[in-house]
Amino acid sequence: MTRAGNRIDAGLGLLDRQILDKDGKDSGNVDDLELFAREEGGAPYVMYILAGPGALARRLRGRAGAWLESAFERLHHSEDPHPARIPFGVVKDIKHSVELSISKRGLDVTTIEDWVRDHFISKIPGAYHDPGGTK
Amino acid sequence: MKKFLEITLGILTAIGGFVDIGDIVANAESGARFHMSLAWVVIVGVVGIIVYAEMSGRVAALSGRAVFDLVRERLGPRVALTNLLASYFINFLTLTAEIAGVSLALQLASSVNYLLWIPLVAFLVWFVIWRVKFETMERIFGILGLVLIVFVVVVWRLGDWHTLSATALHPSIPKGEGIPTYFFFAIALFGAAMTPYEVFFFSSGAVEEHWTRTDLMVNRANVYIGFALGGILSLALMASADLVLSPGGISVSHLSQVTLPAALTIGKLGVAVTIVGFFAATFGAALETALSAGYTVSQFFGWQWGTFVKRVEAPRFHAVVILSVIMAAMVGLTTIDPIKVTEYSIVLSAAALPLTYFPILVIANDPDYVGEKTNSKFLNVIAFSYLVLLVIVALATIPLMIATKGGS
Repeated sequence: MTRAGNRIDAGLGLLDRQILDKDGKDSGNVDDLELFAREEGGAPYVMYILAGPGALARRLRGRAGAWLESAFERLHHSEDPHPARIPFGVVKDIKHSVELSISKRGLDVTTIEDWVRDHFISKIPGAYHDPGGTK
Repeated sequence: MKKFLEITLGILTAIGGFVDIGDIVANAESGARFHMSLAWVVIVGVVGIIVYAEMSGRVAALSGRAVFDLVRERLGPRVALTNLLASYFINFLTLTAEIAGVSLALQLASSVNYLLWIPLVAFLVWFVIWRVKFETMERIFGILGLVLIVFVVVVWRLGDWHTLSATALHPSIPKGEGIPTYFFFAIALFGAAMTPYEVFFFSSGAVEEHWTRTDLMVNRANVYIGFALGGILSLALMASADLVLSPGGISVSHLSQVTLPAALTIGKLGVAVTIVGFFAATFGAALETALSAGYTVSQFFGWQWGTFVKRVEAPRFHAVVILSVIMAAMVGLTTIDPIKVTEYSIVLSAAALPLTYFPILVIANDPDYVGEKTNSKFLNVIAFSYLVLLVIVALATIPLMIATKGGS
């Protein structure tokens, strides 16, 4: 990462980094960014971090991207599937990972995770067993 | 004892890499066919894996990020996906072979056909991952795998150091063997030493055990002792085959033949201990590859992973592990030859190695991840030389595999 003062190279220092929520839980990767310019030709601001297969698919392009996008749309419940958008304001710190100030439960990054848990993993005996020693 | 238990992660990682089902046979076969002429390759491989595993463990201890996180972050989604598909495929082939391998070890002990053991073994592999604490798992299978030291005892008892050192120090290709076959075996041994799932498992294991800055010495001890031990076991298998199987003109193609040196020098007890060692080593490798399948996929997508959280908190990680084990058991049941499968998968993995090791080298020099604990210049020179070697090996792999028809 190039870091002069608080400057970060978005391509190197943000994209593809791990996102951690306030409890240190893995909450996806920075799959893409949504930029916004206040005025025509002005400096762009990062408005949202996009996370999830919907955003990743667009960056993969090609056949793998198309496959991932269609798989995501099928798995997603809502009428209009879109990648999870994390407002940049909840970013607390950027080190090797992007740390958030809120829990991932409050974001829509957990849609598919919840589905796999509710329909598969939680039905196996011992799924709620606490292995002890939380991170 | 407590100090010893801290290095079981390195021991299990190394045993799963160096002496899993395919390597047990490949090491013995190379000893029987080429004597100790390939011993140098094992040494080169041990140094290489030590260099890169130390870096991956250091990054994991200081940043909490495991290897496939780094792959995605440094190579971007497209190249990382290519690496993921290749690594997953190798992992899956190896997992298939290990499940069949554990079953073969059980067949040696019980005379019940290995195919009947496959479903039970697959269930046990999943059950251990689902239910047993990571540290407990690593200690049981790391320590149990150590009984393979019986091969060191065999070589010690035979004590023919003169014969062994003759070809070890002056490698030559025996009459009747071609140069391409020699290099095919060299790549297989090198690939076994540096197989990528070792760094996936080792670095993720460091995170599972919550290593921090204070564990950097533990990391070094794990790497130096664990992988050196893996190398010694690998050389002992080779040497025992050189001394016992080679004079008898026995070519190795089955697991039972590898027990012969122990049978001839130590007797029934030797065989029993050997079979326990095979069981532990192959079961350990099955755990290592099944977990690595979950680790790599989860880390690529940024999902919560690991057995240190409640199962319901890492649902997609466990789903990948379960589906991989089920599919591997199904492929194993097709009576596919597990030993051939790993031999191919090791050689294929050689082709994917640079894509895994390059990001580790870059991140081990990135202060964002490791603070002031970046690589020394000396380490960078060695690591970079290995990267060049890995690229050469990767380029040579596929042509050699075709030219030698898989070393036959």
